[in-house]
Amino acid sequence: MAADEALAHAAEQSGRVLMRLYGWRPDTVSLGGFQAFAETEQQPELAGWPIVRRPSGGGAIVHGSDLTYCLALPSTHPWGRRPEDLYAAVHGALVEELCHRGVAASMVDAEVAATVADDSFFCFDRRAFGDVVITAATAGAVAGGCKVLGSAQRRLAGVVLQHGSLLLRRHPSMTGAGSHAGLAEIIGGTGGDPAAVVVHWLERLAARLGGPLAERAGVSWTADDPDLSRRVNRYAGAAWLRRR
Amino acid sequence: MDKPRRYAKSHEWARLEDDGVVTVGISAYAVEALTDLVFMQLPEVGATVTAGESFGEIESVKAVSDLYAPISGEVVAVNAELPGKLETLGDDPYGSGWVIKIKPADVGQLETLLDQTAYDTLVGSESH
Repeated sequence: MAADEALAHAAEQSGRVLMRLYGWRPDTVSLGGFQAFAETEQQPELAGWPIVRRPSGGGAIVHGSDLTYCLALPSTHPWGRRPEDLYAAVHGALVEELCHRGVAASMVDAEVAATVADDSFFCFDRRAFGDVVITAATAGAVAGGCKVLGSAQRRLAGVVLQHGSLLLRRHPSMTGAGSHAGLAEIIGGTGGDPAAVVVHWLERLAARLGGPLAERAGVSWTADDPDLSRRVNRYAGAAWLRRR
Repeated sequence: MDKPRRYAKSHEWARLEDDGVVTVGISAYAVEALTDLVFMQLPEVGATVTAGESFGEIESVKAVSDLYAPISGEVVAVNAELPGKLETLGDDPYGSGWVIKIKPADVGQLETLLDQTAYDTLVGSESH
């Protein structure tokens, strides 16, 4: 979370669109910014799992078999003016790629979102505006298909931060309500390899930005960076985690 | 007649009252842009706020947005009913939809904020 916030600060300072892609070690559950910590104690599947809290809203996400992204851009960017514009850009690129592969993917519209209860604990049980869903003919599928990408925004002065989780596959260690099918289970064999989907999704996103993504791998900040350290101290603290 | 308001570029409004307290809220333009509101976090009475820094958060179905203090000072009142009745922000953003009241550290800070004309110009530029 600290690194995502630092990315947002860098985007504001530089005026550039910045994106980071990451995995999790150890596998972790992230809570939405406004979820009550006490709710985690009502989820037996979470016993023993590390838990963090995001600065953005939404439900809890099980990380470890997903690709997590964070994209930050100046508020003056065309995609930064309205929340739905950035969702449309990032999620729309994934829908485009999946449809190109013959997968019935779409973004949840406001009408569908209103029909699904938004108080579910887990993010992938909710249906929010812009979520990417794949229509799957499986018994028990929630209205609106199987959700594979959910994102949330934090709008700060001068910069917009959007981060999200793309479910690549069902997490092997999560059970019960916390277990959700990912791309591998939903489209594997017909829609192709999830890794290839990711590569082409990012290419489509880059095309929407008007140019290739300049890639830089590895850690962007060192552990002794004072700005990052300050942010880490905030997000790692119990006061933040248990703020609700 | 309502007293004149000043505005921060982050769309909070501020109004100096007769008793020297500054009432702060969210502009109608910003409330409309937020769309469906679901949660709000406000500071406690007695908290110190600093101009340009976050004093609270508001969540809509699409995003969490920080609320920024237009001036520095001490929070002397919080609209405690607001989080349970968020529609008030849209129904009456400059009246019953007020968010906090600040005892200003320097009332002159109000002059650094946008007047109505300048704010209308800002909104006009963001709308295109």
